[in-house]
Amino acid sequence: MRELFRKWMEGDQDPMESILDISMQADQSRDERKQITHEKRRMLSADPGSQERVEQDRRWFRKIYLAVAVISCISLSLVLLYTVSLMPRYGAENPRTTEVVSRYVEEGIEETGAVNIVSGMILDYRAFDTLGESHVLFTALVCVMILLRIDKKNQRTGYEDYYTIRSDSYFDLSRDPILPAMGRALIPCILLYGIYILLNGQNSPGGGFSGGAVIGAGMILFSAAFGMQFADRFLTLKLCNIVTFVSLAFYSFAKGYVFFMGANGLENHIPKGTPGAILSGGMILPLDIAVGCVVSVTMFGFYSLFRRGSIGMDVDYGRFASGGRKGKLTASSLKDSGKAKGTASFSKDPCKAKGTAFFSKDSGKAKAAGRKG
Amino acid sequence: MAEWIRFWIVAAILFAGIFCYVLEVIGIFRFGYVLNRMHASGIGDTMGLLLIVVALMIASGWNFTTLKLLLLIIFMWLTSPTSTHFLSMVEMNTNPYLDRYVRRREKT
Repeated sequence: MRELFRKWMEGDQDPMESILDISMQADQSRDERKQITHEKRRMLSADPGSQERVEQDRRWFRKIYLAVAVISCISLSLVLLYTVSLMPRYGAENPRTTEVVSRYVEEGIEETGAVNIVSGMILDYRAFDTLGESHVLFTALVCVMILLRIDKKNQRTGYEDYYTIRSDSYFDLSRDPILPAMGRALIPCILLYGIYILLNGQNSPGGGFSGGAVIGAGMILFSAAFGMQFADRFLTLKLCNIVTFVSLAFYSFAKGYVFFMGANGLENHIPKGTPGAILSGGMILPLDIAVGCVVSVTMFGFYSLFRRGSIGMDVDYGRFASGGRKGKLTASSLKDSGKAKGTASFSKDPCKAKGTAFFSKDSGKAKAAGRKG
Repeated sequence: MAEWIRFWIVAAILFAGIFCYVLEVIGIFRFGYVLNRMHASGIGDTMGLLLIVVALMIASGWNFTTLKLLLLIIFMWLTSPTSTHFLSMVEMNTNPYLDRYVRRREKT
């Protein structure tokens, strides 16, 4: 170890050399893409009638868009102002600040069976609100999926090579030895702690949202530490869909049952248990688990979609799909092309050529030449 | 008397930790380049955290809280250098004008 360190300090050997080899990629596909858009534009401009029509449509759309935007903004602000005018004055005596709070504090444990009153409030008295929050998370995930997901329809545009490979080679931390070693030690602890927060939500501070966030962070760390290909084995889009749907449907069904029974004065047959035990609080524990599942899946989905445009391996990456990680981004396969181009393209875009030139001996000179040229 | 001795020990260690954090904050705001600022922030993340948590451990006495605080130190000392390592690696790999700030050793 000391020998290695001494060599590193003296510059004989670079421990990063085999790991960190970022090369130029996908220049060709980018050029092709530019050419395609250029040709499309030329085809459009060749037909003057179509261009005029498009321009007319666009003008109409802009007018309608402006009108709808103004009307919806004014109506929304009127509704909100009317609601504000109905509110009691600040500091005035009203049941919201006196009766409700005292009732939660005094009779919360008895009525919900949860020692943690916050959990009792958000998942028992105000469970409908929490259901809405879970659906907001779900909607956000769906929106991100609509915007960022690479699927069969937009797969062959030439973007996916450029973005997936470039980002993977820049930020694929699993090729560094430090993060996998750290992940092996930390990820079990993080996941276990998240599950503890999730399951103990009715007895101590925590619950579905915080526990789900911790579990989601653990999943993100897992996929960053061991590589996306490793995480794809079980964190697939299908699993995410199933987990989200089952959680939300179960939440809606269970809370609908409780609300229906409560509103009609019927007895619901859910035991409250002794406050403080792990199985207490009636429906709070299962609802916590449902919320936690939704939150963790949403967090991991955001990360995965923003990083490479898909959850799980549902995209055919073409020539890079075969051969796994080693074959996909080996240093040697991309090094040659990168080195050949390295100096030539450096003056254009120093950032991209840097990876190859970075740890090689003549990097400084190449860079100096590039700056001058 | 023993309580007073403990109090002053705790106070001294706490102030040392706060001093580390003050250095960190000054460094983060005064330095111009990201690697220098990471260097400054490392002082608080390691030494300042250690001193403050050790002071809290002494103050709380020997009980379950001590173990939790020890776990806190271990967790932070594992995660903080790792993230710093990757931050510096990304900086080195993506900054096109690295030579203005960093002098690298030429390989022999």
